[in-house]
Amino acid sequence: MADSTKDKIKYGLLKFIDLSGFKVFDPPVRLAFGEDPKKQLSDIGKFMILPIIFVSLCIFIWSVVAPTHKTKSGTVPTPSMVWDSYEENSRFSEREDEKMEDYELTGQERLNRIEEVKGLLAEFELKSTELEIVSTKVSEEGAAITAKKIAPLKITLETLRAEIKAAKASRKLELEALAGQVAAGQASTDAILVLVQKQRDLAESEKEERREIDDQIKKIRDDPPESIKAAQLAANKAADEIQHFKKRFAILTTSNKEVKKTLLLAEVAEDEKALTASKDPQMILSKSKSIVTTTEAAASVDEQKFAPTATIFWQTKRSLATVFVGFLIAAAIAIPVGIMCGLNKVVMACMTPVISIFRPVSPVVWLLIFQIVIGAFFLPDPATHPLFVTLNQDYWFDWIKNPIASLNTNPAMIFSACTVAICALWPALVNTALGVSAIDKDHLNVARVLKLGFWSRLFKIIIPSSLPLVFAGLRISLGVGWMVLIAAEALSSSDGLGKFVWDEYQNGSSQSFANIFLACFIVGIIGFFLDRVMIILQKLVSFDDGSATA
Amino acid sequence: MSFLEINNASASFGPVSNRTHVLSDINLSVEENEFIAVIGFSGSGKSTLMSLLSGLQRPTTGEVRMDGKVIREPGPDLGLMFQNYSLLPWLTVNENIRLAVKTVFPKLSKKEIIAKIAHYVDMVKLSHARDKLPHELSGGMRQRASLARTLSLDPKVLLLDEPLSALDALTRSELQDQILNIWENDKRTVVMITNDVDEAVLMADRIIPLTMGPKATLADPYLVGMERPRDRQTLNDHPEFKRLKSEITNDMMEINKESKDARQEITPMPDVRPKDFSLPSARIRLKNKASQPTSVA
Repeated sequence: MADSTKDKIKYGLLKFIDLSGFKVFDPPVRLAFGEDPKKQLSDIGKFMILPIIFVSLCIFIWSVVAPTHKTKSGTVPTPSMVWDSYEENSRFSEREDEKMEDYELTGQERLNRIEEVKGLLAEFELKSTELEIVSTKVSEEGAAITAKKIAPLKITLETLRAEIKAAKASRKLELEALAGQVAAGQASTDAILVLVQKQRDLAESEKEERREIDDQIKKIRDDPPESIKAAQLAANKAADEIQHFKKRFAILTTSNKEVKKTLLLAEVAEDEKALTASKDPQMILSKSKSIVTTTEAAASVDEQKFAPTATIFWQTKRSLATVFVGFLIAAAIAIPVGIMCGLNKVVMACMTPVISIFRPVSPVVWLLIFQIVIGAFFLPDPATHPLFVTLNQDYWFDWIKNPIASLNTNPAMIFSACTVAICALWPALVNTALGVSAIDKDHLNVARVLKLGFWSRLFKIIIPSSLPLVFAGLRISLGVGWMVLIAAEALSSSDGLGKFVWDEYQNGSSQSFANIFLACFIVGIIGFFLDRVMIILQKLVSFDDGSATA
Repeated sequence: MSFLEINNASASFGPVSNRTHVLSDINLSVEENEFIAVIGFSGSGKSTLMSLLSGLQRPTTGEVRMDGKVIREPGPDLGLMFQNYSLLPWLTVNENIRLAVKTVFPKLSKKEIIAKIAHYVDMVKLSHARDKLPHELSGGMRQRASLARTLSLDPKVLLLDEPLSALDALTRSELQDQILNIWENDKRTVVMITNDVDEAVLMADRIIPLTMGPKATLADPYLVGMERPRDRQTLNDHPEFKRLKSEITNDMMEINKESKDARQEITPMPDVRPKDFSLPSARIRLKNKASQPTSVA
């Protein structure tokens, strides 16, 4: 029947929404299926429209207040500036991807790409010249406006200068006259001291006045009119693109893998020819040496990869990989230890002092400790340590693709992962122990009546019964781990969102400031999604809610 | 030597200085395939008695024997049906019974297990709810699932710890009939604890009252001489039923009253009158004041 399938879809959707925790989408679905429109509309108004209005209001207040606050890195970025920086970073990442692709291209594709790039280059150069013209015109206009604004101030400055000069001259005369009088004994030495002081004070105040006017002029010069800024921005953007295309051209024609290889092989061929043709033993020696080295170099070209500059998206991937590794380590330790603590009061008593003392320790402290302690494992040369070689390989056993090959695993990443692990360990452990120890006595009695063995009892009754609390603990752990990671990365040199923020902070330009805000939002949004995933998992394993079965 | 017996058992808790004697001097003998009902008030130690019978707890003194052997530990031979069902909440009805069947009969093949589970689920008429989780079932259905699980252990003794107390009266009568039906078709020894006299008289062969705690003990049993199968409709007019019911109820009330009286030991207070140190004139004034009428609230 049409009705029942419609109902099935509706309740299926509602169940999914409930499971994912986005209860706010409940009313629209119900409305779409025609259930009680009045109530649904009022619910939508209360729980969707009003929050949207509230958030918009917050964004609006932000965009109004931000430009009024001037810091050493420029003014606080507005929402639109943060959005612009997101677009900048996107474009940057795209460029790196394009460059990487160009590096790997071979044969006809490469030649086609060269043509393409040449075309784009020509197009942009044309655009750039246009923008240059516009920009010069606008800057001329702007300069005129600025000059007009400055003109009256300049006049005041000139008059002031003249005044000061005159005043200075008169003061000099006055001073000399008094000095003469003192020498002639007609005036006291005190008088001249007082006069000197007075003149110095006057000189100071004159300097102040001049400085004030100078400052005003400077302020006007520093603050060019909006049209200039906009024109310059457009010109800069075009210039950036042109640079990019030039770089791509260079990669395609000279640094490209294929090109390099061909060049090297050509060198080898030439050397071989010279070798066979030569009669001079010295030449033979040197040529044969160079043949061997060049052949090796040609072979190794295949192994080389294009090394892109770090983009914010790459940093984000790295952060996510680190937090997952750290979280899995934490879960792998916390769950078994927690189960043992929950089962046996003596074990719990032993672990309690350890937990109590190490739980409040800050991640920063752990990071520094780990850098020393775990760094010792990789001491001689981290890059050649087998762990990192394996993790950075493209393929394992020649056919399993390595998903984290592009992430450039290094010891700093291991340190960050361990810091995340040890800080995220405690909530999971405590909650697991609680879940295991707080089992309903009746369930244990059932196990006794059924005469279940220890392992049977553990896996069939104790663990399923404690799963909701275990997942609650894991959720808290993941949240803690994500927060800890950003802090740890900011401190260590491990690439990731934290390092991105730290670098931008050190950079100090106004673009960097917007980047920091962008990073803040990315961290928040990712944290939100991680938490949401854990909530869904938690709901799936809990057996009181009714949303446990799919 | 009866099939199930308790000999001079007692159960106490707590440190030596503050010991709670829940049960004392318990003697019980149950013949094979007999249906026994133990009646008691709340808090008289019924659950403790059940724990002793099922082996979940060892008696402080005395012993519990089944078929000649002392019961030291619980096991599937003593099928205990808990008061709060104790179904594992993350398993469906089927899976709950499956856990019991697999543990007690590990050598059965998959097909046999499925058939066995289906047999018991059908026996308690829960076939339509076999794949539901416990929190999706009503109280009566949960109790039936618990009964199915206990029966699937194929125990020698069925121990029912106030199985129907948590249900409404209508569901209760339905389940009483069901339990009786199942028992009739497949007789085994049953010890049921209940607080409902009607239920006990309807279902049991022998009714044993449990006196009030502390130090509760089993009073003299009543033999239920009615023939089986017992018909609920005609029960109210049955003379034997009426006699037993009034006798048992009266006796239970007596037990209750006795225990209440026993509990009300009034500690005699010393007869101390305060000495009067007031001056003679004040004494006279007070006396006069006392004789004046005061306002009555």
